[in-house]
Amino acid sequence: MTAELTNPTAADAASRTARSKRRTATDFAAEGEPFVWALGGALAIGILMIVGFLFLVMWNGVVTFFPKTIAVVTAGNGDVFAGEPVRSEQYRPTAEALAALQPTARAKIATADGFAGRTLYRVGNYDLYGEDFRWVADHDVRRVEYPAGLMLVERLEWGPFIGTIKAVTTGGGAARPAAEIGTAAIDAAHATARERWERIHRIERGDIGAVNHWLDKERLRLRKVELADGIDSAGYRTAERRFAEREAVLKQDYDRLAAEAAALRAEDAKDTITFADIGGKEKTIALSAVVRMYAANDLGLAAKLGVYFSRWWEFLADVPREANTEGGVFPAIFGTFVMTLLLVIAVTPFGVITALYLREYAKQGRLVSIVRISVNNLAGVPSIVYGVFGLGFFAYIVGGTIDQLFYAERLPSPTFGSGGLLWSSLTLALLTVPVVIVATEEALAAVPRSMREGSFACGASKWQTIRYVVLPRAMPGIMTGVILAMARGAGEVAPLMLVGVVKLAPELPIDGFFPYIHLERSFMHLGFHIYDVGFQSRNSEAGKPMVFVTTMLLIALIAVMNASAIIVRNRLKRRFMGSQF
Amino acid sequence: MRMTSTLLAALGVVALTTAAGAQVVDPNLMSYKPVSGVSGSLKSIGSDTLNNLMALWAEGFKAQYPSVKIEIEGKGSSTAPPALINGTAHFGPMSRPMKGAEIDEFEKKFGYKPSAIRGAVDALAVFVHKDNPIKCLSLQQVDAIFSKTRKGGGDKTMATWGEVGLTGEWADKPISLYGRNSASGTYGYFKEVALFNGDYKDSVKEQPGSSAVVQGVASDKFAIGYSGVGYKTADVRTVPLSAKAGTACFDATADNAYAGDYPISRFLYIYVNVNPNQSLDPVRAEFIKYVYSKPGQEAVVKDGYFPVTAKIAETDLKAKKLTN
Repeated sequence: MTAELTNPTAADAASRTARSKRRTATDFAAEGEPFVWALGGALAIGILMIVGFLFLVMWNGVVTFFPKTIAVVTAGNGDVFAGEPVRSEQYRPTAEALAALQPTARAKIATADGFAGRTLYRVGNYDLYGEDFRWVADHDVRRVEYPAGLMLVERLEWGPFIGTIKAVTTGGGAARPAAEIGTAAIDAAHATARERWERIHRIERGDIGAVNHWLDKERLRLRKVELADGIDSAGYRTAERRFAEREAVLKQDYDRLAAEAAALRAEDAKDTITFADIGGKEKTIALSAVVRMYAANDLGLAAKLGVYFSRWWEFLADVPREANTEGGVFPAIFGTFVMTLLLVIAVTPFGVITALYLREYAKQGRLVSIVRISVNNLAGVPSIVYGVFGLGFFAYIVGGTIDQLFYAERLPSPTFGSGGLLWSSLTLALLTVPVVIVATEEALAAVPRSMREGSFACGASKWQTIRYVVLPRAMPGIMTGVILAMARGAGEVAPLMLVGVVKLAPELPIDGFFPYIHLERSFMHLGFHIYDVGFQSRNSEAGKPMVFVTTMLLIALIAVMNASAIIVRNRLKRRFMGSQF
Repeated sequence: MRMTSTLLAALGVVALTTAAGAQVVDPNLMSYKPVSGVSGSLKSIGSDTLNNLMALWAEGFKAQYPSVKIEIEGKGSSTAPPALINGTAHFGPMSRPMKGAEIDEFEKKFGYKPSAIRGAVDALAVFVHKDNPIKCLSLQQVDAIFSKTRKGGGDKTMATWGEVGLTGEWADKPISLYGRNSASGTYGYFKEVALFNGDYKDSVKEQPGSSAVVQGVASDKFAIGYSGVGYKTADVRTVPLSAKAGTACFDATADNAYAGDYPISRFLYIYVNVNPNQSLDPVRAEFIKYVYSKPGQEAVVKDGYFPVTAKIAETDLKAKKLTN
């Protein structure tokens, strides 16, 4: 308080000061300063958590495929092994372990407050030694080297092999030592072998698969006639003859293709490669069973990046191997994408129509508010309950009936009568429909009354008004609802486990055979893949990085789908803005 | 359990490990020769302990018969019997034998019992953190650690590591318990054998998968948990177990499991609906043959379990009239 405001008497002055102090305090609160701070702080914490989570996933996911160096460790007792260092930690050795140590090592641990370091190495060679990872205490290490020429070999089976190339056999000849052949020639032979392997796969999966598909079709057709006319009818006998003819033709195709594949396989078996691990133990495998091999310690940055991106490509475009712990996740990406798309196709019209009726046509009364409350409550039902409902209602009741009516010839194996793509999408549509209804209602409510009245004044009917005035204006809001529903649906796993997601699905839900989209098939899903690799895989240590990579991929997939929906929404908004007066 | 162990011992199983410690399959097992005319689709619903193994078998089988389609779903052993009864699955992998009630229900519908294939041997391991110095536990101690009813005869519950006999920093640390969820066959089997059909303590943290148990134990220094030995990682170690207090302890190795010394070893089963009056369709028959073949049992080793011997394979194949 300044002097000119002070009154002559001291008591008065004191009371004034007190009052003014109180006033500044109330001003502070009234301006909302603390609340601004609280709100800002809450926002900051929220952003920090999201960024932190994304950073954690990205950091662990991005580095997973980057090739690491291979260390050759000589242990205190003379044991030698090679492996990729994974991580290190501090620990407190037990008294017994300490007693067994050299005095110098013991003294060193004592100076570090009883803590010692240890490092986890990925040693691979599971088929030779029965372990993938090994912890080594720092005081137990005599020497660590990074020698040139040490290879990391990714194989179709048994996980990685760490060692050197000993010899290569091509075309069934004698095994020639690796040094004599040279790296370039080995790589060329490997590329040829892989190409041949791809060809075998194409014939076996694609061509022979097609023959089997047609054979199956014929068999089902025959069974259908049998069910319809009975086994003694003339129709069945005709059908049987027809089946025999077709079967003979297909059998011929099959034999031809099988012979072709067998010839390629015989050729494939002639190309082998022999590896030796650091202890000299040898392992011979088919050259085509080597997915990728590189001399880990000799790679330059460019070569490392080459391996890195080739691993990413395999991960994105290939099918899983070794009980989903290796190979790619293409079927899961595809399954997630198709399911989310179907979910949107199912949920949008359903949600929008419901909201339109509730907002535009229904008489606003007690019944409508009950419906509205119920819809809002639906959003709070645990997702697993939807899963149980989907399984019981869609798969067993609806699907079972469809099977009996239309797919009787396939029984007892169910067609629609068990979990599948369609039932999963519909279950998730049910789960997300409240989001769309609420968002659409809000969007409809936000359309100004004047616009409707203008439309009516021009002589438009109610439906015409909704169709040409209200809906276009509400479209961006509806899209927001759909985007939210999509994001929720794509990340949901629990109900899917009951209604159609499996660990290993043999076929994609879309392929080249009529009717091209097979809604009854079960499918793989990235969310379930994360659960499976994270909680079910034999080797959780090796599975952990894959969990992060798959999580990253799922987030990216949802982000891409959301972004495209947002782009569509913005386009709609812009078009709408353009047509304003 | 005793039955399994004695059965294993009675079959005179020989030790099949190399010096380096990697498991080797019985050389007398037949190698697999593909036959013609095998196609169709197979579906397996059941144990999640066997999930990976089924997937590995499926991959190997598909390599032989590219046109066969195999679908695998694994949510727990208890899901296998209903799937077999309703005909939604061809194979029902289970990590425990079927219960009497489940067999009865199956028999009520089909008039015959389901057939069991003993595809692999598993030693149910008790895992602790890799720094845990515990040397040995008797089944009574395991019971006192995990169970609140202590049917194994322990007089008091064991809640800290000191009560199990550890000293130093461990003495006053509470034991943190990890286990499986109740749909799992591993849960049921452990309850039956290690808990003597008693009840688990409420403080057991139930995990959705065997791998999750191992991860839990790996990240919690004072933890103990159980799951199939195949899920062992470098971060945990298995505790040698003895059947009775004071007797010798045996680690969860193949030799000890085969010899019947390790007290909680078990077979892993695949249940199939085989009508005894009809011949089995070629796809399923070949799949079963594949499981018992050399590559099939190599897949078992790959998944960390122990392979069955040629003798078991032969007995089971003969029982299903599948030997040629």
